[in-house]
Amino acid sequence: MGFAPLDPVLHNQLRLAVVSLLIAVDEADFTYLLERTGATRGNLSVQLTKLKEAGYVQITKGYKDNYPNTSCRLTKAGIKAFEQYVKAIKGYLQ
Amino acid sequence: MNTELTPQESLRLIESMIGHARRSFSRMSFYFLLWGVLLIGAMIAAYLLRENAQGWQNGAPWGVAGALGGIISAIHGARESRREQVSNPMDSTISWLWGAFVITMLLLIAFTVVGRSDATVAITMLTGLPTFLTGQIMRFRPLQFGGVLFWVAGIAMLVLHSALATLVLYCASMLLGYIVPGILLKRHEDGLRAA
Repeated sequence: MGFAPLDPVLHNQLRLAVVSLLIAVDEADFTYLLERTGATRGNLSVQLTKLKEAGYVQITKGYKDNYPNTSCRLTKAGIKAFEQYVKAIKGYLQ
Repeated sequence: MNTELTPQESLRLIESMIGHARRSFSRMSFYFLLWGVLLIGAMIAAYLLRENAQGWQNGAPWGVAGALGGIISAIHGARESRREQVSNPMDSTISWLWGAFVITMLLLIAFTVVGRSDATVAITMLTGLPTFLTGQIMRFRPLQFGGVLFWVAGIAMLVLHSALATLVLYCASMLLGYIVPGILLKRHEDGLRAA
């Protein structure tokens, strides 16, 4: 029996960290993801765009407390991809 | 933070990030401290007024505390929600839990007013439920302990059955069930925010 291929979009440290954070919450601000991952602003921005392009993350730009705010949430495709990724990872470890 | 991962590293990263996110609760200590102080004040006022007050005056301290607490909580909640960086499904569960508690408590008060009985014992016991469950959801033991304390205080009020005992037990349970866990929770929240 062969190993299931790992989703290249998720098999990246920062993107996986972001998706793992988002899987446990309804929605999170850009600054929250920045603080929790310890990434730089630019790098996080690039990786979020990649997740958005893959259809895994929905990004909403708006205002919060009179300041510009970016909030992110996982899409259904993102949740499914994460679940499949975890299943594949467990297959590697067994 | 863009390196390739081994399966073990992936799993460790996932567990660590999910753990972080699950600990990202809204700040709730304010509500426990606010309501603890207000309700102790209302209980003492109601006790002092019990001989001289007539009719609606008996419930006046509770009405004032309830209205004041409701307004301050609503303003504070609106301000905090604008500042929150993350929306956690557990926060919603806790909000619904306390909302359901308030509805049940108001119905209970309405029935006891109509029936001319005292709601203190029932409300004290009822308070144990959301307090205990909030502690359980947040995995914060002082609140779980507080919930148990409300149940014990309610039983003791029933057994002792005196106005002074009810006053002392109610204030003690509010102090140890709301205020002390509120102070400990505030320290915990400040620590998480600083981390």
